[in-house]
Amino acid sequence: MIENIRHLARKWLEAKEVDAIFGLKEQDGYIAPHLFTDASELDNLTISTEYRLCYTCRPLKEDILSLMQGKEPDTRIGIVARGCEERALIELAKRNQLDLDKVKIMGIACTLEEAKECKCEKPYPSNPIIGERVEGVSEDEDVNTLLNKSLPERLEFWRHELSKCIKCYGCRNVCPMCFCKDCKMEQEVFCKTGWLPPEIPMFLFIRWYHISERCIGCGQCEKACPVDIPLLTLFKLLRRDVKDLFDYEAGMDAEQEAPLLTTLDEMPIKEEVPSGV
Amino acid sequence: MEYKNVLTTCPYCGAGCNFYLQVLNGELVGVLPCKSHTVSQGKLCIKGWNASEFVTSKERLTRPLIKQNGSLIEASWDEALTTIAKKLKEYKEIDPNSIAVLSSAKCTNEENYLMMKFARAVLGTNNVDHCARLCHASTVVGLVQSFGSGAMTNSIRELENADCILIIGSNTAEQHPLIARYILRATEKGAKLIVVDPRAITLTQFADYHLRQRPGTDVAVFNGFMNVILANGLEDKKFIEERTEGFEELKETVKNYAPEHVEKITGIPKDKLVAAAMTFAKAECASIVYSMGITQHTTGVDNVSSSANLAMLTGNVGKPSTGVNPLRGQNNVQGACDLGALPNVYSGYQSVTDEKIRAKFENAWKAKLPENPGLTVVEMMNEAANGNVKAMYIMGENPMISDPDINHVREGLETLEFLVVQDIFLSETAQLADVVLPAASYAEKEGTFTSTERSVQMVRKATEPPGESKADWEIICDLAKAISSKEFEYKSPAEIMDEIASLTPIYGGMSYERLQRGGLQWPCPSKEHPGTPYLHKEKFSRGKGKFFGIEFKEPVELPDEEYPFILTTGRIMFHFHTGTMTRKTDLLNKEVPTGYVEIAPKDAEKLGLADGELVSVQTRRGKIETKALITKRVSEGLIFIPFHFAECAANVLTNPALDPKAKIPEYKVCAAKIEKIKG
Repeated sequence: MIENIRHLARKWLEAKEVDAIFGLKEQDGYIAPHLFTDASELDNLTISTEYRLCYTCRPLKEDILSLMQGKEPDTRIGIVARGCEERALIELAKRNQLDLDKVKIMGIACTLEEAKECKCEKPYPSNPIIGERVEGVSEDEDVNTLLNKSLPERLEFWRHELSKCIKCYGCRNVCPMCFCKDCKMEQEVFCKTGWLPPEIPMFLFIRWYHISERCIGCGQCEKACPVDIPLLTLFKLLRRDVKDLFDYEAGMDAEQEAPLLTTLDEMPIKEEVPSGV
Repeated sequence: MEYKNVLTTCPYCGAGCNFYLQVLNGELVGVLPCKSHTVSQGKLCIKGWNASEFVTSKERLTRPLIKQNGSLIEASWDEALTTIAKKLKEYKEIDPNSIAVLSSAKCTNEENYLMMKFARAVLGTNNVDHCARLCHASTVVGLVQSFGSGAMTNSIRELENADCILIIGSNTAEQHPLIARYILRATEKGAKLIVVDPRAITLTQFADYHLRQRPGTDVAVFNGFMNVILANGLEDKKFIEERTEGFEELKETVKNYAPEHVEKITGIPKDKLVAAAMTFAKAECASIVYSMGITQHTTGVDNVSSSANLAMLTGNVGKPSTGVNPLRGQNNVQGACDLGALPNVYSGYQSVTDEKIRAKFENAWKAKLPENPGLTVVEMMNEAANGNVKAMYIMGENPMISDPDINHVREGLETLEFLVVQDIFLSETAQLADVVLPAASYAEKEGTFTSTERSVQMVRKATEPPGESKADWEIICDLAKAISSKEFEYKSPAEIMDEIASLTPIYGGMSYERLQRGGLQWPCPSKEHPGTPYLHKEKFSRGKGKFFGIEFKEPVELPDEEYPFILTTGRIMFHFHTGTMTRKTDLLNKEVPTGYVEIAPKDAEKLGLADGELVSVQTRRGKIETKALITKRVSEGLIFIPFHFAECAANVLTNPALDPKAKIPEYKVCAAKIEKIKG
């Protein structure tokens, strides 16, 4: 599989279909994102579920691809993207963070093992060039366990989990969809600053609410959490609610407007005036 | 367009997390956690996540500065180095011991090695020390006398599999967040957590027992634990018999520390003490974790040796998920000690007073070396104030905030005839210098840091240093050459590491070739050796582990009518040490913009204080103004001030009284008074 990716990447570069390939590079046993501009480097191009190529750079609060496009708007970048990465790209473009016309996606389908490891519901991009499409994980044990608890038990569960938070902001930092310049999590008005554990639940709630319809379900937040708060479980439930309420799934359809971005063209919902007033 | 990620080691605490520095067209654009790193596992704390910001600060030093008519004026490297070389040569000719050198726990191993080589071989003095004196000097002394090796016995990730963890004097969640990760994971697997701390620190919410001792009574707490364990026959008799000596002495001493008596000394209810001690003793694998809460006392060595006593008494040494685990505060404070930036030892804790060892280093360095141990940090400042130390060279330290009794430090530094400061910023200390040299930060040079778990890890260059600033190792080499030494011809840090390995048995197997693939834990004596995850496996470094019968002694300064509060100091999650780096980081300043004093609600009520009101805090050394933070984190009679903030510096207040053996100051206890400032 990796040979196919390298081969295709080389072809794209040599045919000048793209000016650079954004992928993962292996060196001395370590893997990290890298921009390949020279075909001779491509022997070090690799794939891994450990790193994603859509992430926000701190302290600039801007997606890495967006930063690259800001430096050189005309550079065409090929990106080796899994399903979740494609969803992130679509959602970022929808929110004016990226110019998708300058990005060429080399879609890879994840293996069944990879899909299980990430508990991914849709482990493939819209047009996988490499790899075989496998079905996603439909039943999540952690979600089911949580839903089988009583409401007071669930409250206690989250109270315990949130009390572990050490305010590293890691969940926000790795999130491809957290790019707001004036992040609400940092603001005293929402959550008392300089205090541990941060106020329950506001500190994390404000983010959960804010990206509820943007979340593409990559689970990077959970993997970045130093105290193992089960954030993917939470976001799976939020994504389910957004789908039920608005029939919207983040990153699936580049054309569909995001519900929280929508202005209501139709008649605004009228406030019901109680009779007898 | 160029975009790369450069793997490196975090410049903050001793946990040794690795991350990538993201470099876009030669500029730092952020930090990306490293998923395959053994400790950090793709996670970081707030400081690590923001560790690229200060590097690109506009306040970075970019040119050498020389003081002329009271102001620091930009100069060329040539002028600066010539000036320093000429001055240092003059002092050396009169008396090498009139010069003192502070090395740096922020700098690399290679740089610390070079700095101590420079002090000893070029300047001819053993007056070289660094801030380890102020944090874990008692660990180095205490664990060497008990075990034969002064470092964390076990590895960080082993904590996850402990059955019981005793944390004493470490606010782990805030000071070593990624180590707290493994403690929390242990508790979620069912491990018992005992926190002994005067403050209700973050981790106490997950503790089975929180024992709130009166500050400075740790020896009594340990002796109380051991009294209970012996009274119930829960000691590990086989371990004591086979692996230790001095048990009778210990037994004699601790028999006088019955729980009732310990309650009177420490304020810990006796039932709680008994229950916690029994829990600790019954655990299959029990780990002790400590930090400056027990080291920064005039009884620091006693506290550390007491923790070693407890571990040996219960057989909790020399196997995984046990041990005595001091958490070192700085990214490379372990390494700065290992590499001999201490007045009594060369690299690898080899004594300067041992003739054979001295001959080995004289031979390698082609220089006559001084025979007597040199001055420690606080002694240097005292001798500077007395006029006996006339010149000082400070690399990457900020004693104007970090040392106890800052007014006295200022007096010392101002009395000096000649002061050189080498730093990345014009720190409070650099402002007093005659010559300031601009240094490269961790992101702009190559080298290694040694984490608290003895793991030597690579630091890699991501970007170019700003302006004319240079890596500390290059500056030391240039200066040594300017003083006409021929023994500082290194082409790269890798070459320096090769010299270190050839002279330092515990680092004998280290080389960049091996380290590029991941950290190596010392002792690593040969190129084939895989490194050592935990110490004292079948045998202690000193042969048998040694028990010491240690009596409780009161802190030097206790509260009285005039100064009725106990003041204790420490750090917080959102800042680091003297704030040189964190206070140039936007998010951290947003979290905590300035200092404060924590005071208990009942005390605040007596003083008529409301939260956030301005108060003065005064001790026999000095007085500061700061705002009150009313919280139950401190108990009645206790106040706490974080020491990061120059404008309300806790160390104006602290007591420079020293532990007699380790020469560590008593930062953790002094007497203070607090008054509301009428506005």
